[in-house]
Amino acid sequence: MAQHEVHHHLGEHEYSFWPLPLGIATLLLPVTFISYFVWQKPLLALVLGGVSVALFILSLAGWAYEFFKKGHEEGLGFPAMVFFIVSEVVIFGTMFAAFYMARVAHADQWPNWVPKEMNLTMPVILTLILWTSSATAIVAEKATHSGKKALAVLFFLITIALGLLFAVLHILEWSHLWHGGFTISSNMYGTGFYALTGIHTSHIFMGILMQIVAILILLTNQISHHKGQTYIRATVLYWHFVDLMWLLVASSAYLVGSLV
Amino acid sequence: MAVAGVPKPWFGATLKEWVFTTDHKKIGVMYGMTSIIFFLIAGLSALGIRLELFQPGLQYVDEDHYNQLLTLHGVIMQFWWAVGVWGSFGNFLLPLMIGARDVAFPRLNALSYWLFFAASVLALLTLLPGSHIRMMWTGYPPFSLNDNAGPVAFYALVIHLLGAASLASAINLVVTNLSMRAPGITFKKMNLFLHSFLAMNVIQILGVPALAGAVTMLLLDKYFNTAFFDPTRGGDPVLYQNIFWFYSHPVVYVMILPAFGLISEMIATFSRREIFGRTSMIFAIWGIAILGFMVWIHHMFTSGVPDWIRILFSYTTVLIGVPTGIKIFNWIGTLYKGSIRLTTPMLYTLSAIFMFLIGGLTGIPLGLPAFDIGVHDSHFVVAHFHYVLGMALTLAVLGGFHYWFPKLTGKMYSEFWGKVGLVLIMIGSNLFYFLQFIVGLEGMPRRYADYPAIESWVVLHHWQTIGAFILAIGIGIVFLNLFLSAKFGKKTSDNPWESPSLEWLIPSPPPPHNFDKIPHMPEDWDPYNYEWLKKHKQLTH
Amino acid sequence: MRRTGLLALLMAGFSFAQPVAEPAHLWDYMYYIWLFISVVIYLVVFIPGAYFLIKYRYKKGFNEEAQHVKESPALEVLWTIIPVIIVIYLATQSFAFYKTQRTAPANSFEIKVTAFMWGWQFQYPNGKQVIAFFNMFEDPETKSYLPLDKIPDTAKAYIPAGVPIKVLLTSQDVIHSFYVQPAKATEDAVPGRINHMWFKINQPGEYWVFCREYCGTKHSKMAAVLKVVPKEEFEKWYGQPMDSANKVSLNKSF
Ligand code: HEA
Ligand code: HEA
Ligand code: CUA
Ligand SMILES: [Cu+2]
Repeated sequence: MAQHEVHHHLGEHEYSFWPLPLGIATLLLPVTFISYFVWQKPLLALVLGGVSVALFILSLAGWAYEFFKKGHEEGLGFPAMVFFIVSEVVIFGTMFAAFYMARVAHADQWPNWVPKEMNLTMPVILTLILWTSSATAIVAEKATHSGKKALAVLFFLITIALGLLFAVLHILEWSHLWHGGFTISSNMYGTGFYALTGIHTSHIFMGILMQIVAILILLTNQISHHKGQTYIRATVLYWHFVDLMWLLVASSAYLVGSLV
Repeated sequence: MAVAGVPKPWFGATLKEWVFTTDHKKIGVMYGMTSIIFFLIAGLSALGIRLELFQPGLQYVDEDHYNQLLTLHGVIMQFWWAVGVWGSFGNFLLPLMIGARDVAFPRLNALSYWLFFAASVLALLTLLPGSHIRMMWTGYPPFSLNDNAGPVAFYALVIHLLGAASLASAINLVVTNLSMRAPGITFKKMNLFLHSFLAMNVIQILGVPALAGAVTMLLLDKYFNTAFFDPTRGGDPVLYQNIFWFYSHPVVYVMILPAFGLISEMIATFSRREIFGRTSMIFAIWGIAILGFMVWIHHMFTSGVPDWIRILFSYTTVLIGVPTGIKIFNWIGTLYKGSIRLTTPMLYTLSAIFMFLIGGLTGIPLGLPAFDIGVHDSHFVVAHFHYVLGMALTLAVLGGFHYWFPKLTGKMYSEFWGKVGLVLIMIGSNLFYFLQFIVGLEGMPRRYADYPAIESWVVLHHWQTIGAFILAIGIGIVFLNLFLSAKFGKKTSDNPWESPSLEWLIPSPPPPHNFDKIPHMPEDWDPYNYEWLKKHKQLTH
Repeated sequence: MRRTGLLALLMAGFSFAQPVAEPAHLWDYMYYIWLFISVVIYLVVFIPGAYFLIKYRYKKGFNEEAQHVKESPALEVLWTIIPVIIVIYLATQSFAFYKTQRTAPANSFEIKVTAFMWGWQFQYPNGKQVIAFFNMFEDPETKSYLPLDKIPDTAKAYIPAGVPIKVLLTSQDVIHSFYVQPAKATEDAVPGRINHMWFKINQPGEYWVFCREYCGTKHSKMAAVLKVVPKEEFEKWYGQPMDSANKVSLNKSF
């Protein structure tokens, strides 16, 4: 139960400055996109985009500060993360649907679309990296729960490093394929390949961001036995989800994609 | 920024206290105001459409403006009115009905509203010159990628913002519902509105991301030259329709399930007895929610999907009539041996039921391919969904506005004007939408700015437009009555309807923190146990 | 006089005489079956509803309280089972009709129709073409629809009466939809796909075709007219006997 039986300090959680600026920052993102692509005013887009990013950082920081300042009890973040992951699965699902519909409908011409450069070494390496990182994330979570902060920070750092390594290798792989002439607009294999792997890598960055915050929380001693644990659990859960998704993404984009 | 000191009673807060609030009641009111304003905008564009269709030929607007008006009308009615208005009822009622001080994540809740607001701003930006959009609310490619449709970025990004808002809100409210019910409010004893609201939010969590994925593909295809919908490179325009309807069929239950919830609340209160077949009601809600994800092909019976798939989905589609029927029969059963009070909200509720019946029964033949191929994308379809949305849903919502009006304001609206509004709406709507069925059966295609001067079509369109204006006057009266009563209405008691449902057991309007202490609901309490109330006039701790 | 009028009305749906167009007769049957069932269901709900509303209204002095009602599982099972049976019957009946509605008779005359923004191109097996472009249907000044008799004959697609026509549909640009009004049948024209439909019009005359999928500015003028004429007249227009080459060559330009 997230509610106290005792009376809250009145006025305590009735107001928050931060949702409104965060909403404005979010509004500016599409307006930036539209300024650039629709109204064709790159300068305006630059300005709006800049303001948006600045406002994002400011209001997210303010939000986080307020969150920890107020000294919340353990919240309901964990179930919320579970529901969020469910909806993420559906997002991936749409891309899988696009990929497989084309794969089945165009089985006859598909072989012509597979680039020569495509091979399975890279995905295997990438898979190994991510699996290791899932293991290190577990260690970090266990360490947090048992109060070993230094160990937790160390293992989060390792996990982040592995995540970054994954991203860098993946980007190198992309640019290799891209320069071989296999681009996002070549055909449905190109589109499906980059869409699946791209959306997945964006989730890697999301997971890394969450872990950076986790490290900050650990370093600033915002975590104790009854506080902040939820955040760590949710972060690690998210990371496992990203790793698991990779299995489906890689086996579709690489295996099903290039085995003909 | 915590505003220091004790906040004033929430109803008379300053502007600053409104925009920085995280209080679910204020957020609910802000959702409601936004929905109403956008409903009026979409309604006025509908009147423009009706004027243009009054007679054949192009009199008031040209085709491009007709298409723009219709796109605005469809998008706004669906997402701001039929879906958005539940942000209002849900936020306001959920914590009150489960005995909580606020939702699980109050700040996130405020953010959800501001994202909804951001989407509203972006939608209004399409009125700028050069930014008009004309891809209809369905946005089918390849047309939506064509320059004739206007910039698809607006369509896609509005949906992204709305999607982010609904997803955040849905997760928040599901978690609130599942984890923060006060002791004594079991799953079985939960209000039926909460059951349907829960199902609605689960549908949102599973569905919204699909729509977001589909419009993302539109963006990528238009601005980054991907091949999703380009058949020359292995893409497929029908892919979009599959993903779009995978969400957009269930979304019709997102709209109607909470309306069913309101109907259940009101019909129980004014019959003064428990809903008949309460358990089967709960099963029906989840039956509708689950089946709802298995019928989407019925929007694509003519799109070229294989015949056996069309047949398969026709079976699942018509099966949805069964759980829906269970709800209708249970409502009628609730009237049996009740003590029925025909107050304004009750009359709206009854009208909503009988109008839904027409809308639902005309949905069934649309699910039969043998019939659908003759009326697909005709005004018959338009009439079908105006019976369920324009009437059943809108009447239930307006009934709900009346029903919880004393809760929100502590005042009473004028019963007389409430009833006058209803009579005009019923006359106008039925004149309008019923003739729309007939013109549809005769083959009039939808989204037509102009039509050949076929004699019967001309007459039918004449009377439809007249009906629409009668309806508009009715709607105008309803909102005038509500807004004027909020200012000038007579003070009323805390619980004018004498309902034991938890939100009525606290003062009206509710105090800033709803409950001084989290209530422990006694064993014999139940939101529909009207006898309990006679023994315990007040909520005691 | 009135008796015959009534008779004609009854016959319209269920007569064995040749219908004006096919497969519209199947649509008509489906419509009447559904209409009958729906009216019955509506009354089954409405009559008890209205009765309860009158009978159990609150009145001061009596009926101030609701009475206790026991739940009735039997009733609930009943109103679950009966609808299940009804809807399964409806879907199965539709299945039966739909098979015929979708399957062009073996001796069909094939026409290829290509949709574009905003018009239709009809291609006959011998290469003859008719193009229906939106501006052929609108008055150049007022921009409103021309009546059927003001439309030039060259814009009309000739169709032999009483001969089943199989239409092979595709589109050059965006999705359109080919709706033959008298036949009460629709099928989309989707770029990159070839969809099919069939119809047969028995009564000579002029009939509308409309585009039923929204496709932009001139969507509402994207019509065509089918000029249905007796077989001999059709062959005169067509330039050769119909069955000399009645398959469209599919491989080209699709
Ligand atoms: C709130 C909104 C809402 C609701 C509740 C429904 C409910 C239903 N709808 Fe509707 N529909 C729309 C909104 C809605 N619809 C919209 C917006 C569109 C158009 C989208 C677009 O193209 O723009 C549409 C379009 C639409 C189509 C596509 C038509 C076409 O484009 O060709 C179909 C086809 O199957 C359909 C079917 C149904 C069915 C079977 C139901 C069922 O759920 C109805 C069930 C209810 C009943 C049947 C009545 C009560 C039951 C009984 C009393 C029991 C006994 C009954 C029987 C035995 C039959 N709808
Ligand atoms: C919740 C959903 C909802 C609601 C409530 C409505 C309400 C109305 N709709 Fe709706 N409509 C849709 C959802 C809805 N519609 C959708 C999804 C489509 C399909 C779009 C597409 O094809 O993509 C559609 C399409 C559609 C068409 C089809 C056009 C075409 O295909 O060519 C028409 C035409 O008549 C129409 C008319 C109306 C009218 C007159 C109302 C009225 O009920 C409106 C009543 C409200 C007001 C009029 C405003 C408030 C009143 C005042 C401010 C009072 C003052 C005014 C006066 C006294 C004049 N709508
Ligand atoms: Cu072509 Cu509408
Ligand atoms: Cu549907």
